[in-house]
Amino acid sequence: MELQKVMNSPGLWIASSFMVIFIVILGIVYFKMGLKRAKELGIEKERYIPAIRSAAITSIGPSLSPVIVLLSMIAVVGAPTAWMRLNDVGAARTELSMVAISSGLLGIDPSSADFGVQAFSYATWAMALNNLGWFVVALLLTHRMGQAVDTLYTRYDKKWINMLMSGATFGVTGYLLANQIISKFVVADADVLLRCKGLLPAVVAGVVMLLINKFLGKHQRLQELALGIAMLAGMFTAQFIYG
Amino acid sequence: MNAQEFRTRCIKAGQFAMILCIIANFIPGIYLWLFHGIVPSLPDLFQLWLLAAGAFGVSWVVQPLAYYSAIGTAGSYLSWVVGSVVDIRLPAVNMAQEIAKVEPGTEEGEVISMLGVSVSVFVSVSMVTIFTLAGTMLIPLLPAFITGSFNYILPALFGAVYINLAKKNMKMGLGTLAVALIVLYINNFVGIKGALINLLVVIMGMIVARCVYVMEKKKQN
Repeated sequence: MELQKVMNSPGLWIASSFMVIFIVILGIVYFKMGLKRAKELGIEKERYIPAIRSAAITSIGPSLSPVIVLLSMIAVVGAPTAWMRLNDVGAARTELSMVAISSGLLGIDPSSADFGVQAFSYATWAMALNNLGWFVVALLLTHRMGQAVDTLYTRYDKKWINMLMSGATFGVTGYLLANQIISKFVVADADVLLRCKGLLPAVVAGVVMLLINKFLGKHQRLQELALGIAMLAGMFTAQFIYG
Repeated sequence: MNAQEFRTRCIKAGQFAMILCIIANFIPGIYLWLFHGIVPSLPDLFQLWLLAAGAFGVSWVVQPLAYYSAIGTAGSYLSWVVGSVVDIRLPAVNMAQEIAKVEPGTEEGEVISMLGVSVSVFVSVSMVTIFTLAGTMLIPLLPAFITGSFNYILPALFGAVYINLAKKNMKMGLGTLAVALIVLYINNFVGIKGALINLLVVIMGMIVARCVYVMEKKKQN
């Protein structure tokens, strides 16, 4: 139970709050600067107020969609870390990937009882190091970004750059998925059904994801919840079968 | 104030905040180290960084570049601290610019983008905060069936995410997954360490991407 205590300790809440506070402050600073500049440029109130309102309304739907994944993240890494990491860069799936990757380094499964304080510390550092990549690139490149984009796309085929990026994404997600499937499959002295403890929830979630995309593709709101619904379907089916 | 001065001020504010966020990023790790005495060893930290770079390194560079023209300078700083660029920031900016009838890339467009991104940040931070607090109170009250099902979070998550990625390019998706399954199965008897095998599969994914790219190119010619 020590892990639960550490993961949800008041100290960790405070340690995690700095990021969120800085984010909100930068938001306020930019908002104020933007308002002032809009007036200077002569953009009328009648134009920017509805624009602000519509940006706010547009953000509500997609901000709701990670809720189910947020609950899963709270279960794995505790509330303060889930709160901080979902507020900063990196989607929930990216953060959970880093948790799985760092546990892999220690040779343990994040959903098993072996996931203790040490593994949690590894996960914390892994998520931070991953974020660092985005921060450093944005810090160093944003002010000269314009030319960089042109150079990259003129020197290389735009399609190839995009495919290389998805190749890396497929590689890392494929590794994580295959690891979940294989690590449970190679357990000795178990019948086939028990060996599929990783495969079954993955397949059910994948199929549900496909079905939602195929048959309900037109419902934008439902699409936003698709990942959450698919996950729940996989998790509940597995729990129902394995108890 | 002219356009250049305004841009310089945005960049200064953005860079200052970015440095603060880089520090904030490591505070939880440092807290665990100072108060609980647990920290990964230096070689392990380096391996973690290598794994992160292998998994997301290309995205670190390409994503900020790719979306820059759509969200502008100020928008970029804020967006890359808070993330969710494709699913939250871009739609918010697009809608705001459309309603205000300004063009992206212009001075007016940049200002509206700045307002749009800031507002979307206020909304998403509030939502995540509310749901984290609600979730924390809710989880202990959940029935055993649901808390039991948390054991299957990761396979279900990765299964759904993978299919969602693969549906855009089935050849790459199925190819990489097949390679990953074979490599990991064989590794079960060979026993290469987690970090290395992870990087190996990421490189395989890039090679599969190259193969599919070359094949598609040939088909076109």
